[in-house]
Amino acid sequence: MAADNSSVNTLGSPNPGNPTEPDSSLPLAGMRIVDFTVVFAGPYGTMQLADWGAEVIRVESITHFASTTRGMLARPAVPTVLAQTGMGSGMPNSEAGERPWNRSAVFNAHGRNKLSMTVNLRTEEGQEALERLVSVSDALVENNLPQSMERQGITWERLSKINPKLIMIRMPAFGLDGPYKGYRTWGNHMEAISGHPLIRTYSDLSPEYAPAGVPSDAASGIGSALAFLMGKRYLRRTGKGLLIEAPTAENFVPLLGEFVMDYSMNGRVWTQMGNNHFYLAPHNVYRAQGEDQWVTIACWNEDQWRALCETIRHPELADDPRFCDNESRFKNKTELDAIIGEWTADKSSSWILERLQLVGVPSGAVINERDATEDRHLEHRGFFRHVEHPEAGTHKAPMTPFKSMNHPGTGPRRHSPRLGEDNDYIYKSVLGYSDEEYAEFDKKGHIGMDYDPSIP
Amino acid sequence: MTLEPTTIMPLDDVRIIDLTHMTSGPYGTRILGDYGADVIKIERPGTGDYTRSMPPFYQDEPGLERSGLFMFLNTNKRSITLDLKSERGREIVKELVKGAEIVVESFSPGTLDAIGLGYEDLKKINPKLVMTSVTNYGQNGPYKDYIGIEMNLYAMGGSMISAGDVDNEPLKTAGRMVSYHAGYVAALASALGLFQVEFRDAEGDYMDVAIFETAMHSIDMRLGRMMGYQYTGHLATRPGRAVAVGGGVHPCSDGFFLMTGGPRFIPNIIRMIGMEELLETPEWGTAEGRADADRIDEFLAYIIPWTLERTKEEVRAACEEFAVLGGPLNTIEDLINNPQFVAREYFQEIDHPTTGPIKYPGYHNRLHREGAEMPKRRRAPLLGEHTDEVLGELGLSADDIAALRKDGVV
Repeated sequence: MAADNSSVNTLGSPNPGNPTEPDSSLPLAGMRIVDFTVVFAGPYGTMQLADWGAEVIRVESITHFASTTRGMLARPAVPTVLAQTGMGSGMPNSEAGERPWNRSAVFNAHGRNKLSMTVNLRTEEGQEALERLVSVSDALVENNLPQSMERQGITWERLSKINPKLIMIRMPAFGLDGPYKGYRTWGNHMEAISGHPLIRTYSDLSPEYAPAGVPSDAASGIGSALAFLMGKRYLRRTGKGLLIEAPTAENFVPLLGEFVMDYSMNGRVWTQMGNNHFYLAPHNVYRAQGEDQWVTIACWNEDQWRALCETIRHPELADDPRFCDNESRFKNKTELDAIIGEWTADKSSSWILERLQLVGVPSGAVINERDATEDRHLEHRGFFRHVEHPEAGTHKAPMTPFKSMNHPGTGPRRHSPRLGEDNDYIYKSVLGYSDEEYAEFDKKGHIGMDYDPSIP
Repeated sequence: MTLEPTTIMPLDDVRIIDLTHMTSGPYGTRILGDYGADVIKIERPGTGDYTRSMPPFYQDEPGLERSGLFMFLNTNKRSITLDLKSERGREIVKELVKGAEIVVESFSPGTLDAIGLGYEDLKKINPKLVMTSVTNYGQNGPYKDYIGIEMNLYAMGGSMISAGDVDNEPLKTAGRMVSYHAGYVAALASALGLFQVEFRDAEGDYMDVAIFETAMHSIDMRLGRMMGYQYTGHLATRPGRAVAVGGGVHPCSDGFFLMTGGPRFIPNIIRMIGMEELLETPEWGTAEGRADADRIDEFLAYIIPWTLERTKEEVRAACEEFAVLGGPLNTIEDLINNPQFVAREYFQEIDHPTTGPIKYPGYHNRLHREGAEMPKRRRAPLLGEHTDEVLGELGLSADDIAALRKDGVV
C-alpha cells in the first residue's frame, strides 16, 4: 500500500501559534484547509473540520463583500439590520456596531475555530500568496458560482499542479457542468427546483404560502466534511490528490428519495402534503396552550392509538368504526384531528409531550429558539458551551453534532474570526513572508480588518 | 501492489457491519457503501428490515422485495439474516466484527449492551473497532427513552416553529429528511473514527449520534437562529406570504415561482420586469426605500402581472439573465426531467428483479478520479441474499449453514 499518511503537514502537530489552539490529540490536528466558502452550506462543512482540529483558513478580501456571509450588506442601515433580525440572523441588540461584518449571528455561529486572512486575488502578489497557501494545505473547500472561482484562478488544473496531494472540494449549487452551471441560487431556490416546497406546503392553501426553509444546507455541509475524509483516504492509498464535486442539489435530492422512487415505480407525484403522513393517522401538529405553542402527535400501531384514546379521555374512540384501524383513521383524519386538537388546546406543550411519552405515544413539542437554548436534555448532554466574541459578547454555541467517546467536549474553542483577524499569523507563520514583505502586502491594500469604505 | 487511481474507491477495502434498520441508520451506511465500503446488513430472519414492509411498493402491491423505500436505502449492501436473540446468532455477529472496521447500529439505547453486543463487548474482540449509534435522542439524558417519528424530531430539533405561514400551523419537512440527515452525520462520524484509527494510530472510538441534536445543530440553519435569538431576544417566527419587498412565491402561467426580494435584489427584479423608471423615484432608488416592508403589496402589483404572463421556466431563465435569485416550485416529475439533472445524468437506472431498471437518486458527491466515471451502484439485496456467501467467508461449511437455517438462526 502506498502509505501516505500525513501528506503536507504533520498530523498531531498543529502549527505553533495557531490562535485557535487545537488540542494536538484532536483527530484532524495538523490538517490545514483553505476555505473559500460563503453563506451557510460550505461554512457548515468547514466548521466540522475546524471543530475536530483542522486549521481552517478563511480567505477573504477587504475589497469584496460576499453578500449574506458576514451579513446582507457590509454597512447595513437600520431597516436591513432589522430585516436580518426578522429572519433570525440579527446582530447583538439589533445594532450594526462599528464593524457590522463581525456581528452577524449566522456567521458567528458557523465561523468558530476558523482563522481569517484577507488578500486581493486580483493582483499578482495576491495570487502568489494563494499559491503558497495551497502548497502548504491539505484541502481547499469552496461553494461559489463555478465561474466566479474560475475567474480568480481557483481551478483543479492549476492548483493540483502546485500541490499534487491537494483534496479540492467544490460545492456548486448544480454542478461544475450542465446548463445551470452559471445559474446563481441560494439553498431555498435550489430546494424549490428539487421539488421540496411543493411537496411540503399546506394541503388547503395556495402554493403561494409554501415555506422557504433550508434543511438542505446542513446536509451539504456534512457531505463536504465527509468528502474531505474520503479524499484523504484516497490519497493515502493512491498517492494522488482528488477533486470532489459536491453539488448542493445532488446532496439534497436523495433526502427526497422515496418520492423519486414512487414516481419511478408508480408514476405518482406527491404535492401539498402539509403535515400529513404517507399513510399514518393520527399524524399532525396541534395547537397547545399559549401563544404559538404546538405539539406533534402520531401513532404507528394500535397500542399507541389505544393509549392515546385513554389519555385524552375518549376510550370509546378506540373501537369507534371511524377510527378503529389505521385505514379508517386515515380516511377520517380531519374529524380525528379536531378531537385531538380539542384536548391539546388548553394544555401546555411540555405537559402533553411528557404525558404522552409516559404512555408510549410518539409526541413532540414544537420548540422555539429560547426553549432550545434552555432545553434540559441538551443541558444534561452538554450540548452548548459559552463562547466569548470580542465584538459580539458571550453566547451559547453548540458543541459538535455527534459525540466521540475519545474526544468528549469537542466544540467551539475560539470565537468566529473577525475579518482579517489572523493576517499576521497566516502571512508570517503559515506562508513564510518576512516582516518587510508583510508590510508591503499591507501597503498594497491586502491587509485589514475593515472593508474598503466604498463598499455599501 | 499498485492501486489504480481510476478504479479505486476510498472505502473499497473497508468492511462495515450494519446493525441499523428503518430509515436514519440505513441512509448513513448507504453513503458509506457509495464510497465503496462492503456493508453487511444484518436482518431479522423472515421479515427483515421493517422498511421492506413500508410503502411505496412497486405497483402498490406490498411484498418484502417490493418496497421502493427499502430499495432506495440499501443499495450497495449485502444482506444476511441472523437472529440476534439466539446465542449462536450473537456469536456470528462477533465473528463478523473481528474482520470489520466499523459497526453502525440504531437500536434503542442499551439494547445491544443487554445482549452482549455493546461497544464495551465488541471492543474487547476488536480494539480498533469504530462503533456508531444512531438514536432519536442519544445514549443518555432525560429524553433518552422518548419514542419519536420524523415529525416529532423535526419539531423538537429543527426550526419547525418558523416553517410555514404566520397565520397557519408550523409545517414539517417532506418525507424523512431529518432522519436521513442524521444518517449522513453518522457516516461522517464513522469516517472520522476510522481516520483516527488509521491516520493517528488511535484505538477505536464510539460515536453517539442523536437525530434530535443533528437537527438542532443545523437543519434550517438553526445554529444561526439560536445565536440570533441570543443576540436580539427575537424568536424567529413563521413569515407572512412575502418576507421582503419583491420576495415570495409568485404565480406563473403554469405553476409557481419562488423569488428573493429585499433592498439588494429589488433593482435587478425591476430591470427584469422592464420597469427601470422606478429606480429614478425616491421610493425605489434608495436601499432604505426598498427595505420598507410597507411596500410589499405595492410591488406585488408590479411583479405578479409579469410572472403570470410567463411559464416558470421563462421566469427562471430571466432570473439567471438579470441575476435575480429565484427558482420554480417543481414537482418530482419536473425534477427528473430537468435539463440540468438530465445533462449530468444524475438519476441512475438500477435493475432489480421486481421492478426492472428504474431511476434512483444519484451520488451525493462525485470523485473526479483522473476523469474516470463513478462506478455503477448495485441494487438493494434480497432478504438474506448473501447469507451463504458471508457465512462461507467466515469459514462455515454448507452443512453448518444448513443447520443454522434449520434452527432458525439465519
